[in-house]
Amino acid sequence: MMFKVDPLSIFIAAGVIFFSIATFIYSFGFMREHPRRRGYYFYLILTSLVSLATALTNNLILFAGLWGFLGLTLYLLININGEIAVPAAKKTLIIIGGTDALMLLGIAMVYSLSGSWQMDKIKLDFTTAPSIFAYIFILCAAFAKAGAMPFHTWVPDCAQNSPGPVAAFLPASLDKLLGIYLIVRLTFGMFKMSAGLSLIFMVLGAVTILSAVMMALVQHDLKRLLGYHAVSQVGYMILGLASANPIGIAGALFHMANNAIYKSCLFFCAANVEKKAGSQDLDKLGGLAKFMPVTYISALIASLAISGVPPFNGFFSKWMIYQGVIIKAREVGPAAGSVVLICLVAAMFGSALTLASFVKLLHAVFLGVLPSSLENKKIEEKGMGMKIVPLFLALLCLLSGIFAYKIPFKYLFVGAELKYPGIWNASLASLLIGLGLFIGLVIFRLKQIRPVFRQEQAYVGGEPAPRDETRVSGTQFYETIKQFGPLKGIYLRAEAGVFDIYEQGKNLTFAIGKFLQYLHNGVLPTYLVWTLLGMLGLFLVLVR
Amino acid sequence: MGKEFILSLMVIIPLGTAFVISLFGKYLRNFCDKAIMVSSFLLLALSLYCRFLLTNTAGTLVYKVGGWNPPFGICMVLDGLSCFMLVTVNIVAFLIALYSLKYMEQYTDKPKFFTLFSLMVCGMNGVILTGDIFNLFVFVEIASIASYALVAFGTEAEELEASFKYAIMGSIASIFIFIGIALLYGFTSTLNMADMAKILTVKDSFRLVPFVAVLFLMGFGIKAALVPFHAWLADAHPSAPASISAMLSGLLIKTLGVYSLVRIFFNVFNAGQVHTVYLKVFMFLGALSIIVGVILAISQWDLKRLLAYHSVSQVGYIILGIGLGTPLGILGGLYHLFNHSIFKSLLFLNSGAVDYSAGTRDLKETGGLAKVMPVTYGTSLFASMSIAGVPPFNGFFSKFLIILACAQAGHIGYGICAVIGSILTLSSFMKVQKFVFLGELKEKFKKVKEVPFSMQISMIILAVVCLLGGLMFVSPLKFFLQDAVNVVTGGMSYSNAVLGGGK
Repeated sequence: MMFKVDPLSIFIAAGVIFFSIATFIYSFGFMREHPRRRGYYFYLILTSLVSLATALTNNLILFAGLWGFLGLTLYLLININGEIAVPAAKKTLIIIGGTDALMLLGIAMVYSLSGSWQMDKIKLDFTTAPSIFAYIFILCAAFAKAGAMPFHTWVPDCAQNSPGPVAAFLPASLDKLLGIYLIVRLTFGMFKMSAGLSLIFMVLGAVTILSAVMMALVQHDLKRLLGYHAVSQVGYMILGLASANPIGIAGALFHMANNAIYKSCLFFCAANVEKKAGSQDLDKLGGLAKFMPVTYISALIASLAISGVPPFNGFFSKWMIYQGVIIKAREVGPAAGSVVLICLVAAMFGSALTLASFVKLLHAVFLGVLPSSLENKKIEEKGMGMKIVPLFLALLCLLSGIFAYKIPFKYLFVGAELKYPGIWNASLASLLIGLGLFIGLVIFRLKQIRPVFRQEQAYVGGEPAPRDETRVSGTQFYETIKQFGPLKGIYLRAEAGVFDIYEQGKNLTFAIGKFLQYLHNGVLPTYLVWTLLGMLGLFLVLVR
Repeated sequence: MGKEFILSLMVIIPLGTAFVISLFGKYLRNFCDKAIMVSSFLLLALSLYCRFLLTNTAGTLVYKVGGWNPPFGICMVLDGLSCFMLVTVNIVAFLIALYSLKYMEQYTDKPKFFTLFSLMVCGMNGVILTGDIFNLFVFVEIASIASYALVAFGTEAEELEASFKYAIMGSIASIFIFIGIALLYGFTSTLNMADMAKILTVKDSFRLVPFVAVLFLMGFGIKAALVPFHAWLADAHPSAPASISAMLSGLLIKTLGVYSLVRIFFNVFNAGQVHTVYLKVFMFLGALSIIVGVILAISQWDLKRLLAYHSVSQVGYIILGIGLGTPLGILGGLYHLFNHSIFKSLLFLNSGAVDYSAGTRDLKETGGLAKVMPVTYGTSLFASMSIAGVPPFNGFFSKFLIILACAQAGHIGYGICAVIGSILTLSSFMKVQKFVFLGELKEKFKKVKEVPFSMQISMIILAVVCLLGGLMFVSPLKFFLQDAVNVVTGGMSYSNAVLGGGK
């Protein structure tokens, strides 16, 4: 049987279809008049169909083939953006394709251990070394696709340099869905989660959340910043999966869906900004809220959702994940429990940092003062698709947050009715928040109550100061964090690519290559010596 | 004369073409173009017909030269393996001949080129079809000597030096092969491979066979460019004209090297069932070649040199797969052999096209050529993805089979070597794509034109084969590979089939 439908794969497939349609509608506006749009749409359709098949297939060979093909379409899609995108596309395909090759070995080992290509027939555990290695090999591919550490480094590069809708489509939504899907299938379907693995997952998840969000804090590029958040959010999903209890897993899957919604919304907004303002450099943006109100509102809602502010969906799924982790901490005993709790605290702290980073983003792009470079530019929102899609996604963030209780999680892979240990009454809370906002608005509108602010032009030596000099750009908010003691070295190294598995692999390969090239000096006698040495070796082995 | 006579035609036609071209090519206009196209098309058709014959006779076809029966006379043998090789060689040779028509106009002496080309094809067909170990040596020499001359075809200093090195290394290989054959002849008193195999099973050889095995491993190892016998390749393959590089990397190292190794070790020495120690050596050399070849390749900046080192690495995959000795591994290895012939020839033809149009193959100088050479870009993308093992191209399937066979046989370490090779291959072809076809188009390349149509068409056909090659391992086409695998795994059944006179 090549295909099999179960609730999980339907869920993923539905997500694939939904985000494909959203990206298509958006692209009609964004890619209008792009010289390579024909290729773009072709690759887009191909990606959607192949992703759909990947989610539904039950055969491991077919799965590997489809999965690998997605790397190629991603490469081609990134390349649509022309010259600036080439290095990012290269890095992406090397990381994705490389882990893919590892997955092939993993799948081959799984087959030789279990004797079946059917994903639903495979039941392995971690008792033997080959099965552990097989698991790790396949997991690498899933991590690379989802963008979890240590295979995450393609995500920021890809997000920065690919066309906006591509960033929204692949690293933000489809690849997340498929990557997490594979982790779930692998960990809870083909293998059985063990206690030690769960702990490793926890730590990996927490590290992913914190380090990616710390990197996001100091970015100057709009899409790159979002790219780091795309990595950071994966940490929550892994944390949820690591808890290995129904509420945690359901939370992780829900968070995956939510993340895809708000992250693609944010990328669409970023693409709007890039298209209309002509820049994605946070230093050169500002004060766009006036000109692009719809984009601003959508980005605001999505930012609140990603930061986990109630009543948006990001809050609810994070809340579920936290509950899962707390339950886990109770189960595992004091020693491991304390590690789990540290991870939990790290995740919560990461959430706060996410909010901080989005405050910066919103200020730098939409609030603040319009830089003089944009003054003469006519910035306006045009194109229905480019407005509707982000707004719709933002609305979805709100609705799925408020009505999260109504979602029947038990059909979603979990199997059991969820019991929420913590109490959160969504409708009441939303009502109260709405009420609070309303009262605030009323007060804001009533001129008598509102204090009067005086706004004056800044002067230097009697002359009006150039606006760009007095302007506060959001990028300066957290610059000082780079100077802060122990973090300073880490940031320096991170920017030099020390923690990048791709850069390190490159260095290692070229070092060995240099040595081998030294041996290949082009002198015939050298070559003859090797040949004779080789023959000598063969004699020693074979003729004894 | 029965239908077996066709087997001798596979050698006679290219030999005759070489003769005729060298005689009249200079005096009649366009004669050599027509002659080479007719002969290579004929060879392609005949090789496909051979496949058809083999299906109908269901076994082995033996042509007895002069009507003498096998142990006494010389014979030519067509079985699954040789038919597989024959089809591979003649498909690629036909397309390369088509490509060369225009490409070789940059050089002065086209008739000489096609003479040597035909001789090389003749040598390869002979190696594949012969059932006699001394004839094998002769045909290996015919093909090798033609290739020494072809490497030096440009007659620049660099090419002559490469050709000289290649000739020295190749001659050393030939000497050791010859000594090996002489020792075997002295021991078994026969030159017929089937007969030799039969005698070796009954006669205790003490240390003679291992000794000869080492000589053959070294000799054919040099021809196949296995590490540590590979060093000549990186000089010789890039120096030749692109169509010859394609021929050398795509076919010659496999026919002279891999095919001979497989035929002698599996069908004569019976390495598959009895002397499995040879298989361990195969696997080790294969894995070593994969890693060393690919690491050397990734640090090159000359496009053709990069491709040449990849041939070392890809031959490693073939030998690793075959060395596993399991039917699946052999299937993967042979399948990869076919695939590699296709995509590596295509890559070399691409590099030739870049050289033809842009006038350079230095990765640091080229860039952005995708805009001006769309066909070359498209086909090279196909070939790059194939060699890197990205689905749905043919390289993916054969690499997957090899990796699967490694896992099945419990050789996880070799599996990891194959994976590392695959990752680095992907990386280095990403480099090729980035520096040749993508990126910024330089001012001086703005006026570059796509290559002539006849060159395009052969690249397109090869690219299509790359894409459709994945179908080869599904059932309706599987017999083509399966028959070859059966011959290799069969071991001694080769001997019985040939001595039985075929059916």
